Amino acid sequence: MSLYLRRIAIDGFRKFREAMAIEGLTDGLNIVIEPNETGKSTVLEALRAAFFVRHGTKNQLAQSFAPYGEAVGPEIQVSFDADGAPWTVTKRFLRGASIEVTGPQGKAQGEEAEARLHALLGSVRDTSQRGDAGSYGALGLLWVAQAEALTVTGPGQIVRDTVRSTLEAEVGSIMGGPAYARVRTRIDEQYGRYWSPTGQKRGRQNEARERVEQAEAAARDASERLAGLERTFSELESARSRLKVVHREIADDTDVQARKDLTASLETARAAAQILATRRAEHEAISAKTRNLEDLVDRHRKATDERTSAELALEAARSRRAEVREGLATAQQRLADARSALEAARTARQEARRALSAGEELLRTSRRRSAVSAARARHAELVDLERLQVEAAALTATLIPAKAMDAIEANERLVAEARAARAAGATRVALVGDAAGILIDGEPMAIGERTLSGETRVRFGNAELIITPPAGAASAEGALSSALERQASAFADLGLTSLAEARARNDTARDAVGELRTIAARIAAVTPADDVIGLASGPDALKLFIVELVDEDEAVEADIPDVALLTAKLEAADTALARAEGAQESAVEALRRAEKEDAPLASAEAGAASTLANANGQIETIEGRPEFPTLAADVVRAREQTAEAAVKLEEATRDATAHDPAAITRRIETIDARVKAAGEARVKLEMDVARLEGTVESEGGKGLADREAGAREEAEAARAALQRITEESDTLKLLRDTLDEARDETSAKFVGPVAKRAKRHIERLLPGCDLSFSEDLTLEAVVRGGISEGCGDLSRGTQEQLAVLTRIAFADMLLEQGRPVSLILDDPLVYADDARLDLMIEILSEAAERMQVVLLTCRDRAFRHVPGNRLSMARILLDGV
Amino acid sequence: MKLIHTADWQLGKPYGRFEPEVRAALSEARFDAIDAIGREAARHGADHVMVAGDVFDTEGPEDRTIVQAISRMERHACRWWLLPGNHDFARNGGLWDRVRHRAGSCITVLSEAQAHEIEPGIWLLPAPLTHRHNLDDPTELFDTMATPGGRIRIGLAHGSIRDFGTQGETKNQIAPDRARRSTLDYLALGDWHGTLNIDARTWYAGTPETDRFQRDEPGQILLVDIGEGRDPVVTPIRTGRFQWIKRSWTVNDQAGFNAECDQLLGSIDPPSTLLELSLAGITSLTDRVGMLGRLENDVGHRVRYLDVRAADLVGRPSADDLASLAVEGMLGVAAAKLSAAIETGGPDGLIAKRALERLFVEYSREDRA
Repeated sequence: MSLYLRRIAIDGFRKFREAMAIEGLTDGLNIVIEPNETGKSTVLEALRAAFFVRHGTKNQLAQSFAPYGEAVGPEIQVSFDADGAPWTVTKRFLRGASIEVTGPQGKAQGEEAEARLHALLGSVRDTSQRGDAGSYGALGLLWVAQAEALTVTGPGQIVRDTVRSTLEAEVGSIMGGPAYARVRTRIDEQYGRYWSPTGQKRGRQNEARERVEQAEAAARDASERLAGLERTFSELESARSRLKVVHREIADDTDVQARKDLTASLETARAAAQILATRRAEHEAISAKTRNLEDLVDRHRKATDERTSAELALEAARSRRAEVREGLATAQQRLADARSALEAARTARQEARRALSAGEELLRTSRRRSAVSAARARHAELVDLERLQVEAAALTATLIPAKAMDAIEANERLVAEARAARAAGATRVALVGDAAGILIDGEPMAIGERTLSGETRVRFGNAELIITPPAGAASAEGALSSALERQASAFADLGLTSLAEARARNDTARDAVGELRTIAARIAAVTPADDVIGLASGPDALKLFIVELVDEDEAVEADIPDVALLTAKLEAADTALARAEGAQESAVEALRRAEKEDAPLASAEAGAASTLANANGQIETIEGRPEFPTLAADVVRAREQTAEAAVKLEEATRDATAHDPAAITRRIETIDARVKAAGEARVKLEMDVARLEGTVESEGGKGLADREAGAREEAEAARAALQRITEESDTLKLLRDTLDEARDETSAKFVGPVAKRAKRHIERLLPGCDLSFSEDLTLEAVVRGGISEGCGDLSRGTQEQLAVLTRIAFADMLLEQGRPVSLILDDPLVYADDARLDLMIEILSEAAERMQVVLLTCRDRAFRHVPGNRLSMARILLDGV
Repeated sequence: MKLIHTADWQLGKPYGRFEPEVRAALSEARFDAIDAIGREAARHGADHVMVAGDVFDTEGPEDRTIVQAISRMERHACRWWLLPGNHDFARNGGLWDRVRHRAGSCITVLSEAQAHEIEPGIWLLPAPLTHRHNLDDPTELFDTMATPGGRIRIGLAHGSIRDFGTQGETKNQIAPDRARRSTLDYLALGDWHGTLNIDARTWYAGTPETDRFQRDEPGQILLVDIGEGRDPVVTPIRTGRFQWIKRSWTVNDQAGFNAECDQLLGSIDPPSTLLELSLAGITSLTDRVGMLGRLENDVGHRVRYLDVRAADLVGRPSADDLASLAVEGMLGVAAAKLSAAIETGGPDGLIAKRALERLFVEYSREDRA
């Protein structure tokens, strides 16, 4: 069923400081077109206040209703039809807050009136500060304030529950919200005692676990202490029984008696030991005496035997030596002979060697002498040759150097040329006649021709003839004279007078050079080396040798002996010497053999002699002793005495062995030690017993066994409790999880039908689309062509349109449930293009056939063509409030 | 002559698995039993009380336990003969030395196997235990005890009867015909916690205050009238305050359960009753919840202590159960899921079973509300 608003009057509410009203609202589509700032949105706010805000509240929302700066009671009066019956609600806030509802059940005021409205509209009391549209029920969703519909939002719990109950039959399932919520609250509360919101154990679970841990620790502790006490008991028991044994041992007098007996026998033993010592000394003394006598007899006998054998040995040695001595003498003689022969051979050999050496010296001297004379001859020859060599060298030195020779030759040519030139240019004069008084250039002029080469004055008396030859003649004359001068100077330098001489001198010099070479060769030939006189080759060696010879006399030439003969003699002497040496060695060997044979015999003889002397000395000494004469009888008597002493010693030994004081002392000590140990053990055990008894007394009084039993049972009880608590908490967890799953599953079932209904409207806007609703019935996404688009990602215009369309869909579903619905849109579809706007207006017009639709808008042109009931706000006087 | 035969006082037993207040009541009741015995002795003219072992629960009780025991005994005119049992065996420096230190002349600790002439011509032959575990028959020593001029010989021992097949605690076994063999006029035995007649002259007195779920009878003592040359006249006397009862019920619906409950509550004294109740059967979940709810909210509060073992009481959700939840939508879905988990079985199945039950409990609670 639709809710039909008929009249809305407002006074003192926000910007309506004056009373105003909208009247004449009809079924179907109503359009209120007013400019901005007129208060359209305030009208919607006032409607909500009238229906859903408690009249008595002073919450922030209610406070905001009063016009700014005015302390009035904002008042709203709404008339409407619901389910065919007329209703009126008049509500005043803040000052003189009141409500009055008139409906089919009559008039109601206060809480009763509020309750009637809630019952009618399916809303619940709003306890929030700023107003909660969720509590307004269906109209909270359908009365859409400005800008509220710009995004797609989900319906509140009330709408969801209503829609779900609408769909329950179709889905074949129900939500059962209230029962669920109650059970769920209880389970959550119980769950919270065992689990934290994140599923961690807490509260009772931890308490139970701690109780188990503490109880188990206590039980362990008690058990350990009890075990300790039990140990003490058993230790005490064993200490007591050991003590009993020790006491018994101490009480036993066997040892005491035994010790007494042992002490007595110890005395006897000591006496026996004394006797034994005496007997042993006696026996020792007589034995020693006997031994001495026997020793003396023995030594005498031995010395006698020794003397006899030494005499025999001496005899034998002496006879053997006599035999050997002869051979020895022979050998000595032979050796002496061999030695003298050897000496003779050595002398002969020295003679031969000396002769040979002298012969060889003579031979050498002779050879040197002939070599020296040859050297002297060659030296004389060398002296001649060297003189020749010096002369040739002097000649060689006169050779004019080639350069000087060339210069002379050139000068000669120049002289010749100068002479020719003078002859050609000179003035030839000839004097004939008497030449007296004629002077030429101051000198008497000779008859004959003359060549004048310069100005020449010829005086004839007082006259002078001046002749001047041509100029050329004069220079030729000059050239010649200078050439002649140079030539003369060159010759002077060389000590020559003419060119021919120069040439002759050069020829001689050249010949001398050849001579020098020949002389050098000859010098080399006369100065060879000579080994005999130690002369090296060359003239200098020879000259040096000759100089050194100055002192050497010319020795007299002697006869040269035959060296070969001398050599043969020396060899023969050598052989003789070797033989003599061999003979001597052989003689030495023979002597040594003889001596070797004699040596042992000699020492044997000496040894035998010494032994004999010794034996004789001993016999003499022994026989000289005073006891010697009665020795034999003394020995016999001493032996008898020894035997007697031995018998006595034997007896004493037997007696002493029977009573061993050491063994007896040991036994006494053993008994003493046993008694002492028993005493110590008793003291220790008594201490132990006392200590353990103390422990038992102090610990036993603490009731450890009781405590242990109690603690053990407490631990068991705690474990059982933990078991129960664990089961309980697991149960609650499972139940809670299961409830969650059940809710989710059930919610999911309603999504399909909701989507189906919404799709009817939305498909007209977005043909071929599919819709995706979440479990809380919020449109989440639109699927177009298989592509899912989240609502938040759609264009603002589409989002707004979808928001309006889903509201219409929910309104339809609520209508099915018979809920009083109406649709109010404040300034809707601001982002719609013309086509969409037309489509949306068409859809709204159709919806207006099922429910009252009120559009509040400022856009006159956009809605001008829309058919519907047009209204405006008018100032009025509120009646009777 | 008349004497009181009792045993197995088990003083100081901790009762650790009980809540503290129950524990305190049970412990106190054991001491109160001493007073009860003393009063009965006086009422019936018995001068001697023979305690056949296990006077104390452990060999090392708290001092308070000892002092309480002694002070309670000394309030009465009779003589108390205490025999060490296997729980409180005799040893040097042990429990009994502590008791002797504090006890007056009216209390005799029989820690030696030595006959006592308690009245002229009346001899008491004790067989004390000296170890926690004894393998020999301690009563064999009876034959070595001299009882000069004995007209009446009374044996006092602790242990199970050989070849008797009881569930006695001790390992030592007493010859079943010990009374005849040792020409006893009466053999007072301890160890078995219920009253038990072996032969005309041999009895177990049982504990005067029951301490475990073993049988329904409350604790008793025996009044024994012994005469020369005749069998003794033995009369059990109730001394126990608490009754420990075990019940196993097979129930299939709430009505049957209620009937059992009502019958039981009518037949017992709930404040002095400790109840171990085992339930078996197959019921609807609603019924199971109802039964456990009654136990928890009603019976459990009436009796001193209630131990319910309901593992064998299978609560299957009935069609009605499931239907009632199904109309609640999501709760129905959750119930179905849990049912499926139960079908799968295993340890998770057990938890699921509990979870389902809890779901019903919480849902039903809403119904009541």
